[in-house]
Amino acid sequence: MSMFNDIERVLVSEEEIRQRIAALAEQMNQIYSDDDPPILVCILKGAFMFLADLTRQLSFRHEVDFMEISSYGMGTTSSGVVRILLDLASSIEGRQVVIVEDIVDTGHTLSYILRNFATRKPASVRVATLLNKPSRREIDVPVDFVGFEIPNEFVMGYGLDFGEQYRNVPYIGILKPEIYQEVDQA
Amino acid sequence: MPVPIPDSVSYVLLDEATIERRVQEMADEISVDYEGIHNEDFLLVGVLKGSFVFLADLARRLTVPHRVDFIALSSYADSAESTGAVRLIMDTRADVAGKHILIVEDILDTGYTLRYLYRLFEARQPASLRTAVLLTKPDRRQVETPVHYLGFSIPDVWVVGYGLDYADRFRTLPYIGALKSRVYEK
Repeated sequence: MSMFNDIERVLVSEEEIRQRIAALAEQMNQIYSDDDPPILVCILKGAFMFLADLTRQLSFRHEVDFMEISSYGMGTTSSGVVRILLDLASSIEGRQVVIVEDIVDTGHTLSYILRNFATRKPASVRVATLLNKPSRREIDVPVDFVGFEIPNEFVMGYGLDFGEQYRNVPYIGILKPEIYQEVDQA
Repeated sequence: MPVPIPDSVSYVLLDEATIERRVQEMADEISVDYEGIHNEDFLLVGVLKGSFVFLADLARRLTVPHRVDFIALSSYADSAESTGAVRLIMDTRADVAGKHILIVEDILDTGYTLRYLYRLFEARQPASLRTAVLLTKPDRRQVETPVHYLGFSIPDVWVVGYGLDYADRFRTLPYIGALKSRVYEK
């Protein structure tokens, strides 16, 4: 049995991801420079693959840092308050910050991170997300660099999981309905 | 556009194509060895920050289902020389008891960090415990820990890129380069 059998179809191919990330990197290369190196903050676990591919194409000096968060109960609440399991290793005070996310959905988690970061007095905060689902948005959040706007489908792969599976699928795929319906009923 | 080679890098030790080929070979080997193990039972543990690039490339080339988890460590002293004392900043989210654990590490230097991790996981009674290490510097070794999958054996030079840093710099260069000695000799 292969994990690829659970995938209904490919939404974004490896080649499309590669080309789009190159374009995003080029966009960022125009904005940032060695004179004021930004910190790229990867939100774990989902964004690690996006971070690995994006940062390898940046021509300006930068640092990477990681944050791992977890919701308190099931799913995200409207307050968006999350538990910080791993905080940043370095201070962002006075620094330019780029939050690197795999997907922006309701926006609650990102909104919480933005509010949390604002208290640390960074010089600037921008958001880079591989996927954006605007139709799911419940709270307005600024998103500066977007890989792909996608419809409200059950996506996985390239860092995104479903029940901790499929993160390593090298493209963005749509899961067969019977896979997530089974789990919903379980 | 390729990322320019920084002035601080004296030469490229391992270029992108060489790394890619070797990571693919390692992934093939791992995929054979872990064939038939259920997704829930096979866990790749990436060690932050250094191994995120290696983990991203290795994971997506595996053909066997698995989960991905992260662990963050820090040394006590803020010195370049590892003394062996390691502080656990963030533990894995998954319970490792009864699971097949593969520790994914960027570099094996003195060996203290990998030994710490190996002992940490060994004590948690996993079904099996192995290590995948991209680089080893045998000349630097103080303590031995088993390495099951090895990328490259390299001489004792300060290497940066592909996850490896010098004071948080050069971490995301797409190749592995040797740092000019004037950068770290003060």
